[in-house]
Amino acid sequence: MTPNKLGLNLAMLLAVGLPALAQVDLSGSWASKNHEDAMERGAGPNPVDWAGLPLNEFGRAKALAFSQSTISMPERICWFQTQWHIAAGPFNLKMWNETDPLTGKTIAWVVGGWETRAPMTIWMDGRPRPSKNAPHDQTGFTLGSWDGDVLTAVTTHMKTGYMRRNGAAMSDQATMTTHFIRHGSMLTVAAVLEDPVYLTEPYILTRSYTESPTLLDSAGPPCIPGDEGVEEGRVPHYLPGKNPFLDEMNKVYGIPQEAAMGGSQTMYPEFRDKIKDKVANPGKCKRNCGN
Amino acid sequence: MRSKLLVLLFAGVTVLGVRAYAHHSFASTYLEDQKMTVEGNVVQFLYRNPHSFVHVEAKGKDGTEVRWAVEWGAGGQLGSQGINRDTLKPGDHVVIIGMPGRNPDDHRLRMMNITRPSDGWTWGGTVE
Repeated sequence: MTPNKLGLNLAMLLAVGLPALAQVDLSGSWASKNHEDAMERGAGPNPVDWAGLPLNEFGRAKALAFSQSTISMPERICWFQTQWHIAAGPFNLKMWNETDPLTGKTIAWVVGGWETRAPMTIWMDGRPRPSKNAPHDQTGFTLGSWDGDVLTAVTTHMKTGYMRRNGAAMSDQATMTTHFIRHGSMLTVAAVLEDPVYLTEPYILTRSYTESPTLLDSAGPPCIPGDEGVEEGRVPHYLPGKNPFLDEMNKVYGIPQEAAMGGSQTMYPEFRDKIKDKVANPGKCKRNCGN
Repeated sequence: MRSKLLVLLFAGVTVLGVRAYAHHSFASTYLEDQKMTVEGNVVQFLYRNPHSFVHVEAKGKDGTEVRWAVEWGAGGQLGSQGINRDTLKPGDHVVIIGMPGRNPDDHRLRMMNITRPSDGWTWGGTVE
């Protein structure tokens, strides 16, 4: 075979639609392991427990004003979580890719929705991000790219929501960067939240999933409005200095208020040395004891 | 006769709650280390997602009628335990034990046990 023929054959081989080696198939039904932060993901965090959240003074003030009854107001009954709930919530994930009908190439990855979270469409086709002044909606706007075999998705244009389900809020200026990392039949989701309004540093959560043979739904079930006990016209809240649960974590678990109030220092292991003399022995566990 | 006994037995069996996950924080909503009992008549049974609610009117300490909102499991979750939208009807007299809400103005409970004395039907457990 002449070099020219060899070169031509090689070129033909390369022209055949070989998949990009960096791209990984993330599609499937992924069952959440919920072994990290299990209580927070499931039953939910305690009131005034913001340890590990890099809240600034505004984030802390907003959280202190929050009453859980707020989301039972008639106009907030079916209020949606933001995409951050992928990281902070308990549910399984259903993922699939949307393809161009002509070329078959992936133009988007979709993370299916839940009853209170809209689907996340991760656009892979190079479209531009909308103006920062474009409307924000339940889905936000997400662009994705491959970093080796890791899919990185950057979400903006989210509505105001909560980064933890006890009032620690995230603003509509927040950016969420999510890394989807598949390793065999496991999927790790590492999410980073940056919020110039309420946080001093990025807040990072990870979750693990296993591939499930059980077919998951891609959305729902739908939330149905109904009377949850808060009458029309009442807006549950706590005025400054009036939150009655400031000492909850100390009373129940012996964790000092300094830790429960959050702040970036509470994210780091050396904070334990700083407060070790202030941690009280709570006695026998009475609530959410992990069994 | 045996089938009738089985039906009566089934009607009286306490069904344990299946764990599911809340879209809000139970720990932040309810005083989970406390219990209270409310006895009164069902005025509404909201069988829905994300959480069903049983609204009960009961007399308060001062004799006035107070409407309590008792949070229960999602419709699908309860359905898997044989509870449907017709299980409770307005007018049913019930005794409910639950965890009180942190905000007293809400008059809210998280369902732990419900009994309908008229036929002995009962349910017990927790939903998350």
